[in-house]
Amino acid sequence: MDFEVVTPHTQSELLGAIAANQGKNFRIGAGYTDLINQFKLRPERDLTVINIAQIREDTFRNISKNDRCIELGALVTASDLLGNDTVRKEFPVLCEAASSVASMQIRNTATIGGNICNASPSADMSGALVALQARCRILNVKGERREEPLVSFIRGPRQTSLEKHEILERIIIPQNTSAVIKSGFEKIGARKSMEISIVFLAYHFQLSESGIIEKAGIACGAVAPVIPFADRACAYIVGKRLNELKDDEKEAFAQKVMEYAAPISDIRASAWYRNEVLYNISKALFE
Amino acid sequence: MTKEFKHIGKATQKFDGKERVSGKAVYGHDLELPGMLYAAILRTRYPCAEILSINTSKAKALEGVECVLTAEDADVHNISYKRDHPILKKGRVNCIRDEIVAVAARSKEIAEEAIRLIEVEYRVKKGVYDPFEALLDTAPIINEFGKGLESFDNKNIAEAFHYEHGDLEAEKARSKVIVKKRYELPRVTHACMATSNITADYSPLTGRLTLWASTQVPFLYLRDMAHALKMAPSNIRVVQPVIGGGFGSKLDMLPFEPICALLAIKTAKPVQLLYSREEEFLASPTRQPMVIDLTTGADEQGKFTFRAVEIIMDNGAYTSWGATTPFVMMQTFSSLYQVPACRFDARAVYTNNPFAGSFRGYGNPQATFALESNIDLMAEALGMDKAEIRLLNANYPGEITGQGLHYNTCGAIPALKAVVEKGRYHAIAHAPKEGRYKRGIGLASMLHVGGGAKIYRSDGCGTTLKLDDYGYLTIITGSNEIGQGSETVLAMIAMEELGIEQDKIKIINTDTDVKPWDVGVHASRTSFVAGNSLLGAISLLKEKLNKKAAELLHIEGPDFVYENGMIRVDAHEIKIDKVVRDIHFMPPHQLCEVSFFYEPSSEFQDKQFKGDVSGSYAFASQAIEVEVDTLTGAVRVLEVHVSQDVGRVLNPLGLQGQIEGGVATGIGYALTEEMIYEDGLLKNPSFHGYKLLTANDMPKVHFYPIETNDGAGPYGAKGASEAPLIPTSAAIANAVANAIGVRFYSLPLTAEKVLFALVQKSVGTPRRCATLSEHAQIEKQKGHGF
Ligand SMILES: Cc1cc2nc3c(=O)[nH]c(=O)nc-3n(C[C@H](O)[C@H](O)[C@H](O)COP(=O)(O)OP(=O)(O)OC[C@H]3O[C@@H](n4cnc5c(N)ncnc54)[C@H](O)[C@@H]3O)c2cc1C
Repeated sequence: MDFEVVTPHTQSELLGAIAANQGKNFRIGAGYTDLINQFKLRPERDLTVINIAQIREDTFRNISKNDRCIELGALVTASDLLGNDTVRKEFPVLCEAASSVASMQIRNTATIGGNICNASPSADMSGALVALQARCRILNVKGERREEPLVSFIRGPRQTSLEKHEILERIIIPQNTSAVIKSGFEKIGARKSMEISIVFLAYHFQLSESGIIEKAGIACGAVAPVIPFADRACAYIVGKRLNELKDDEKEAFAQKVMEYAAPISDIRASAWYRNEVLYNISKALFE
Repeated sequence: MTKEFKHIGKATQKFDGKERVSGKAVYGHDLELPGMLYAAILRTRYPCAEILSINTSKAKALEGVECVLTAEDADVHNISYKRDHPILKKGRVNCIRDEIVAVAARSKEIAEEAIRLIEVEYRVKKGVYDPFEALLDTAPIINEFGKGLESFDNKNIAEAFHYEHGDLEAEKARSKVIVKKRYELPRVTHACMATSNITADYSPLTGRLTLWASTQVPFLYLRDMAHALKMAPSNIRVVQPVIGGGFGSKLDMLPFEPICALLAIKTAKPVQLLYSREEEFLASPTRQPMVIDLTTGADEQGKFTFRAVEIIMDNGAYTSWGATTPFVMMQTFSSLYQVPACRFDARAVYTNNPFAGSFRGYGNPQATFALESNIDLMAEALGMDKAEIRLLNANYPGEITGQGLHYNTCGAIPALKAVVEKGRYHAIAHAPKEGRYKRGIGLASMLHVGGGAKIYRSDGCGTTLKLDDYGYLTIITGSNEIGQGSETVLAMIAMEELGIEQDKIKIINTDTDVKPWDVGVHASRTSFVAGNSLLGAISLLKEKLNKKAAELLHIEGPDFVYENGMIRVDAHEIKIDKVVRDIHFMPPHQLCEVSFFYEPSSEFQDKQFKGDVSGSYAFASQAIEVEVDTLTGAVRVLEVHVSQDVGRVLNPLGLQGQIEGGVATGIGYALTEEMIYEDGLLKNPSFHGYKLLTANDMPKVHFYPIETNDGAGPYGAKGASEAPLIPTSAAIANAVANAIGVRFYSLPLTAEKVLFALVQKSVGTPRRCATLSEHAQIEKQKGHGF
């Protein structure tokens, strides 16, 4: 498949390129680990690729932190996340999700922006970010910005709320309000690496000193057209003592997570399996 | 006689290792000849259809297209083991990999575009995808060239084998337990790192055809190619580039190879054909899927009494060497363990699935899975220990089996004992199974040929040696290097025997115009056969050198030692290159070259498949510990203990590589790998959908070699490289049964299959029953019902 490549190096070149291509068929390319595959499966004609991999601006590239949040540029890679102390210590769910992606070679180029904008129900890093109640910062060709919660930004398989004149710039994660957390990412797949989730469960609980769950974030993957935030399961679990849940409470929690699952069957697993496993690992979270 | 070796038995890095890891190795994909064209193949859209018309006019008109080839343009013979496979199909297509048109063009892109421009009109027919259905009277004839009706009483039988020894009925009558089970084995593929490739060049001036081809059997290939193209074999030269994975996939010549040759002949230009990964999944041969009905018995003491086996193999649409895998399987049933009576029947049945070929282990992983599972079941029925029942029935040195295999040496019992002890079999097997993660351990053993296999007119190998004036040795061997490390072992043998350093040894093994005959890389034979052949050549070379050295040193017929580039006896010594120069330059002026052909002592089996078919036999056992996650059904292999009678360890490093590689293939076969076909269509032609395991999934592999020093092998060595994957899936299935109390009769043991069985076991019918039927539906599509 033939395509033209435009490589802006600055934000203004980037916005210029997007503006100039409004009447044409174009795609944004970051790490290309999803895009190249799509080109192979669904070749397109008369395509321009706007290659954002060379953008120098920090807003696209860095990981920053203030009192209220930590922010990730859309071009932050899975490997960047793994190398970041804050992510490792304060957001294990994101770190575990990033480390579960593919292989080191892929992690070195796979960006968080690509993972989100590809809008796959099995996108691991997006799953962790949904559980963390992250927001997307979106930039348009006029240089204006808007913010939207990630969970609504993703609209369906390969669909986001991005307009043609917009681009994802940054992801914003609210700071933990407690130092006591239980946070992690359970990925189910046939292989330890180079594997797309058959099911995943991303969880991030913030606890009081005495072990009561104060805030909860749960997201599940590959069980619905989008990555749902299981807010009823979160609401159910908040206020309970993490280590003292009774069996029927664990089951009730798992049942609430299941309300968000409507999986399909494919060659990798049946809907039955996805349901069964999601239930089991949800219940086992507190064991 | 424990002679101290300087090189044999010492860990030696692969001779070609540096080139491979530095990217300097030249694979078929790296070749580029002047004026070379690129080929592409149009395959059928439907697995079973009539071809009504083929219109190639648009493709022919495309700028840059130099040749468009259909069956009409090709004056060729059918290929394959049964000559039932047209290289280009006309009139009908029989499976989804079928080749209809081939194109050669000035670029790969043009060739692919030309393929898109070809219009084929089909009349789609209902195919037969289940071999049992194909056996029915009502089934259509699947392969029009098949000889099933004449030879086997059924039009859709491609090949059949019958074997028996002993009095089955009498043995049955005195059996205390009889276990009868059906085992189902999936279709898996080799997944070679390098995709299939060939480059062909033809000169109309000389009539000579040169093929850069990744075959495992260059001389048989040359003969098959000549037959297909109606050429004289000696006008064909086969050159092997570096091969990126064989594993049996390159035992048969496949249609793309004569197709590429034909394109080169028609255009009189070099033509290259490279598979994409998708094509590799779709159009390379697979392991035989099969259904094994196995009945086995044992007496009160646990001594085996009999085995009755019936096997139906899904042959696919054409017949490859793979149809002869029963040849190996029957050895497992007749001769792995002592058994007074055995009856074995196997039929390879045509279907509209892609055809199955040969694959490392050659039927033996399937046979061993069934047999070793049944042994566990018999032990359970008798209330016997699973290690004990195996030890009780294991073979001894000196045994001549019912099938006539002579076990001059036999490490079966030491291998079993090693893995039982080192794997802490009893402690793990009997530990309580509690909690979410349940651990278990399983045992399985295997028997495989260890000294080649006489299935062709010769199982031999030739070697020519050339020692030059500077003391450099060129080994021209008939055998091939396909990554298994045979060059390294040959160099080690030469270093040991002639005292020449490694960097003064060159190996020529890639060119049929140059190298002497050899039957090919298969049956774990190369180190054994090529090693013996080299030793034979070395002794001829030494005769020459000894004679001249004695002359130069003015001594009589002594026993020389070859060391550090010197030929020595007591205080007398002379440089080896000096001796060569004297042979060359002094009267009577001779070359320092010798040739030797080694033929193993093995014999052909008779029509009843009895006879000592191999120069020696390899035995192995594995004890594998697994952990089953009862919440997800995932099986994790924790530790693999392998013990194998390898005769003698030649290169420990190479051997460990073969063991680990084999185990990796065995684990994939056991747990995750499966080509999912639905009505003849492959649903997972990529590594995304086909779950080949990765390095991260590998457990620790502990290896305990058993050295029995078999007189037939070089330094006592036996073939070793298929064995490590053969018992793996059986040991894993036995371990899973030990862990969770559920036994599986089909592979792979996917997490879903395991979880389903666990849920069924605990609550009868699984929760969320609404989707249960849907689940069963999917499993049925995958080819294994519950
Ligand atoms: C072998 C392999 C294994 C994989 N394994 C995993 C896995 O385990 N888990 C997982 O989650 N994913 C996996 N993936 C998918 C992929 O690697 C990830 O989704 C990755 O994060 C995508 O990032 P990228 O930078 O490569 O995106 P690209 O391929 O460059 O882009 C993906 C999509 O996002 C759009 N896009 C990218 N950046 C922006 C932006 N800033 N603004 C607007 N649109 C944008 C592109 O237009 C495109 O539609 C795997 C892929 C491969 C090839």
